[in-house]
Amino acid sequence: MSFLERVDQSIRRSVVWRSLFRQPYPNDERSRAYAVMNNVFLHIHPVRVRQHAVKFAYTFCLGGLSFFLFLVLTVTGVYLMFFYVPSATQAYSNILSIQSEVAFGLLTRNIHRWAAHLMVFFVFLHMMRVFYHGAYKPPREFNWVVGVVLLFVTLMLSFTGYLLPWDQIAYWAITIGTNMGGYAPLLNTPTKLILLGGLEVGQNTLLRFYVLHIMFFPLVAAIFLAVHFWRIRKDGGISGPL
Amino acid sequence: MTDVKTPPEPRTVVPVDPARRTEIDKQRVPMSARPYRLLALVKQDAVVRVQKEPDDTVMTWPHLLSIEFLAGALMSIFLLMMGLFVNAPLEALANSNVTPAVAKAPWYFLGLQELLSYFHPTVAGVMVPTFVLVGAALIPYVDRGNLAATRPSQRKTAVVLFSMFCALGLIVTFVGIFFRGPGYAFVIPYLNTDGLHFSL
Ligand code: HEM
Repeated sequence: MSFLERVDQSIRRSVVWRSLFRQPYPNDERSRAYAVMNNVFLHIHPVRVRQHAVKFAYTFCLGGLSFFLFLVLTVTGVYLMFFYVPSATQAYSNILSIQSEVAFGLLTRNIHRWAAHLMVFFVFLHMMRVFYHGAYKPPREFNWVVGVVLLFVTLMLSFTGYLLPWDQIAYWAITIGTNMGGYAPLLNTPTKLILLGGLEVGQNTLLRFYVLHIMFFPLVAAIFLAVHFWRIRKDGGISGPL
Repeated sequence: MTDVKTPPEPRTVVPVDPARRTEIDKQRVPMSARPYRLLALVKQDAVVRVQKEPDDTVMTWPHLLSIEFLAGALMSIFLLMMGLFVNAPLEALANSNVTPAVAKAPWYFLGLQELLSYFHPTVAGVMVPTFVLVGAALIPYVDRGNLAATRPSQRKTAVVLFSMFCALGLIVTFVGIFFRGPGYAFVIPYLNTDGLHFSL
């Protein structure tokens, strides 16, 4: 036995390792079933899945990748929050110092930005693939409705985040975006007051969008994602085959 | 105070009339002697179906998990490359007194901004988005024709309508992204080399 093999074995036989993993490396059907069932993260999956559902060309991994991007955005977003104050006088310079002074700050901001755009894009594509498979048909009607809520929440997450750099792009994109919402019949001025916390984009708007972006919409998304995934299982797994 | 445990009441098993026992009943342990917990009630046909060996399934570990891992890994590499080589845009400090020449909504709302130049704001900014979201949510309850039809060839109307709707959305978004310039006037992109009037 080589040195590395002995190290490997003594790790796997140690009390700590065995307290962490209750069974040996999953090699046979039984231990593979246990590996999925006994792991808090993996047990979102059933132990067995239908063959056509794991084919890449059926789902194109679009739902899964949307969720993966959501997780990436959560991690990078938490890191950015350490260095950002939602204040009209500080936000912009915070972004500048994130880019120039914070360790991996520029990289983190870039990834957060690109992952956000990509998530919106993938959620659209996921919705289209679900439609073309007729996967909203019974018993999956309600999960489609949950999906529409998720689409709305995804758009709102992206839109509220767009204002936070407090630069000209952010300021005017949000001004235009909220102007459109301000034309709700009868409710135009109240709607705008609620959205912006004033008659134009300002400090109140920044704080509102910040709270919605880092707290409210992520929580709503988490709740509806849980329902979405739970329903996939309860509706009998992935639809199809075509 | 003393803790007195009352002895559990003895369970009586009522014998079933043998004439009334079905095939499934014969395989059953009497409820009172069951060595398991009751997890769920399933309809009889579901019980029968379970007894057939499912033959179109594969183990989640490794068949599904390996694909998920690969997809996640490739996406991570892609994001890392994007993050390293393309910087997120950042312009000058926000200034409510200086309207930039090109002011556009984020790309996913650009279709609506494009509609804004044809219709009254109440239509483009409020009614269309409401109609789109509510309409999308209602699709499963409207498309009740042939509930078993999932292949596109069996449901041409739905597919054509949805595709036309998507194409419409794509077109207005594309016009908004590429063909609108200063003052949101119509431009040909890259003409006079002032490039694209668009930032992500
Ligand atoms: C944050 C956004 C979303 C996430 C993370 C998400 C995630 C997922 C995942 C992981 C699946 C499993 C199959 C697959 O990957 O395709 C799925 C299935 C499904 N999703 Fe989503 N989804 C989202 C948004 C939506 C939207 C916008 C809709 C539709 C309006 C939708 C409707 C459905 C339906 C009906 C299924 C079942 C499909 C089937 O059985 O074939 N989801 N979703």
